[in-house]
Amino acid sequence: MAEFELDCLGEACPVPLMKTEKKMAGLKSGDTLIVHIDHSCAMKNVPEWARKQGHNVEVEEVGDGEWDVIIEKC
Amino acid sequence: MKQFFDKISKNRYYAMVFKNPFTYVTGAVLLSLFQIALFAYSGNPWGVSGAFANWGAWIYRLFGGNVDKWYYFSSSGAQQTLDAGVLNNSGSLMNFGIAAGALLATLLASQFKFKKIKSIKQVVAAVLGGLIMGYGARLAGGCNIGALFSSIASLSLSGWVFALFLLVGAFIGSKLLAKFFL
Repeated sequence: MAEFELDCLGEACPVPLMKTEKKMAGLKSGDTLIVHIDHSCAMKNVPEWARKQGHNVEVEEVGDGEWDVIIEKC
Repeated sequence: MKQFFDKISKNRYYAMVFKNPFTYVTGAVLLSLFQIALFAYSGNPWGVSGAFANWGAWIYRLFGGNVDKWYYFSSSGAQQTLDAGVLNNSGSLMNFGIAAGALLATLLASQFKFKKIKSIKQVVAAVLGGLIMGYGARLAGGCNIGALFSSIASLSLSGWVFALFLLVGAFIGSKLLAKFFL
């Protein structure tokens, strides 16, 4: 049940999604990954991908144009 | 004032139109409708990158350069466009509109942010990518708007040929991206 973070601030699509996919592959079931993003299309495609994989996903708007995508691995 | 904005930003319809991203289908339908309206109004299909070449020529002229003898600008039509200036060039005005509209949209969604540059790699990739894209768009006679979107909408075969090679380019690009940015 470890928690990991991934800093994707300042990165444009599709880099945040590719980094998230890579990072998630190394996590165990029940682990949580918090992805920090500030690119609005990543706010759409990262959660979309994670939900398709069956993970639990929450998106939190932490500031103007800044989001945390919280993914719990299934 | 702040109270007013706090209130409308919580409104369900405000969120639906200005805050939440449209679905791809909504975006596609809106783009199609607007490009039909533009075609009907101006008689020219929508294009973006053609105007950038003119911007280059105008900047070159500002510094005393002369593009009259360049093959790309040698036609009398191209010369007329250049002589008429940026404010009489519909393509340039539309591009300004895109930039202004994008700024307005991000402000209305309160998502405006100065993003930091993460690495010198990003700068190099952006500059190199921009140069290659701009040059390629002029060789291909358009970018993914003029040569793809508008061509296909005009039932031209060239749009489909462009699409095929766009896929090849995107494939190579994504491999390069994975190699240098992951």
